[in-house]
Amino acid sequence: MSDAVIQVDGLVKDHVSNFLRKRFRALDGLSFKVAKGETYGLLGPNGAGKTTIQKLLLGLIRPTAGEVTVLGEKPGSRDGLGRIGYLPENPYFYTYLTGQEFLEFFAVLAGVPATKRKERIDSLLELVSLKEIRQRPLRKFSKGMLQRIGIAQALISDPELVFLDEPNSGLDPIGRYDIRRIILELKAQGKTVFLNSHMLPDVREVCDRVGILHRGKLVAEDKIANICGAGGYQELEEYFMHTIEVAENEYRKAGSITPYHIERESNR
Amino acid sequence: MFKLDVINAVALNTFRETVRDRVLYAIFFFALLASIAGAIFGSLSVHQEVRILLDLGLLTITIFGAVIAVFVGANLVFKEIDKKTIYLIFSKPIARGEFILGKFLGLALCLLVIIFAMGAFLYFVACVQTGAFGPVYPLAGALSLVYLELVLLVAMATCFSTFATPLASTFFALALWICGHLGLSLLNLGQLSESPVVRAATKGVYYVLPDLASLTMIRSEMIDARFVSPTVILTAVAYVFVYSILLLSLASIIAERREFQ
Repeated sequence: MSDAVIQVDGLVKDHVSNFLRKRFRALDGLSFKVAKGETYGLLGPNGAGKTTIQKLLLGLIRPTAGEVTVLGEKPGSRDGLGRIGYLPENPYFYTYLTGQEFLEFFAVLAGVPATKRKERIDSLLELVSLKEIRQRPLRKFSKGMLQRIGIAQALISDPELVFLDEPNSGLDPIGRYDIRRIILELKAQGKTVFLNSHMLPDVREVCDRVGILHRGKLVAEDKIANICGAGGYQELEEYFMHTIEVAENEYRKAGSITPYHIERESNR
Repeated sequence: MFKLDVINAVALNTFRETVRDRVLYAIFFFALLASIAGAIFGSLSVHQEVRILLDLGLLTITIFGAVIAVFVGANLVFKEIDKKTIYLIFSKPIARGEFILGKFLGLALCLLVIIFAMGAFLYFVACVQTGAFGPVYPLAGALSLVYLELVLLVAMATCFSTFATPLASTFFALALWICGHLGLSLLNLGQLSESPVVRAATKGVYYVLPDLASLTMIRSEMIDARFVSPTVILTAVAYVFVYSILLLSLASIIAERREFQ
């Protein structure tokens, strides 16, 4: 996989609590690659470290150890970020702005030339089906509309690589369908998509390959075609549950008997 | 190198956010009421009506301006972190210093509009009270000094909001503001001491704290329509500019080093 857009080697991230300086290992020796044009899905239980990985790849947080390159650049570099789009999980938007103002603001930040902004915003509003309500304040948008305007801001610079963190979270079936349609369109355009999601049927439909994260470790990684075809699993959910069960048993055998969510909360 | 269009966009967004906040209008309304109260108090005095009106009016504008500067400023960066909009911003190819500078300029612009509006209202009330159009420049000059002080306060609040909660930022900024007004008195008090250590320490504190007492003194001279040397005014502007740049540089360094979990 020489044309890797994302390359991660031995990535470790420790979170340190503010007062007691207690360390909690969020990511533990992760290594993976994502190829150009690939749609990669990162799966895992809540708190497994999926969002942490995206933040590291964007340079919002720094690794404790390991090597990370994104589009051949160090995460967070100005050149790299200019070629990346990002939609965080449950984002808050500036509700006092209209959809049009919101995209104009991010077009400037993303470095879209002034002469191309209008054209770019028009085409994105068309893509996310919000053209008719572009002058409506965001506080009057539904959850699905907010997710779609969020995707539009992620795509404002026509990025090569798009990070989407739980884009389907809390959406109704129509909203989920819209997001799937947009991701498939990005895929058709040859863009690389890195998707964190709990919606396994959606992941199966849009992703080429998935990785499963458990307690900060990448415990499985395979192509969807291998999992749901030759792998013998009817649904991605079956594979996911089986993988997590095996990983959890291994973890328990290694000594820890604290249920995962309790351990995680107590470490926060 | 900083990109001007990015700084402009962040400043405009901050300006929009502030002017579209209804709390601002409540504060503004109370400030206007206080100016009218100044006119009423002034009318109770003998031959000092305008002086009392202007003094109370300027004090009102300073206090309400400071309330806006501190409370909005203390939330300026923190709110972006708390609401997680910072993830959207810092995932774009911008320098964190551009963001800090844009936030600061947006609020400074908003305060400029507010000070102008409140000042125009104060001038109007003064004209009604005297029944004639008086000279504008003493009031305009004094308001400019009030604005300089508020700009410094915005820079303090912005700096604190990059690492502290709004409550702590408000406390720190207000404390620094009050200490800044007392700095000159502290210096004079220290010079009375026979101990060289005390004299050096008070001198050191005076130079570190923002010298707001001097700005107030220049303002008083302006409102009295006394001549103030352009050198003094330029020095005051340069002082506020340099102090603000230092605070914003510190804020940028903190934002650059900070992780956004």
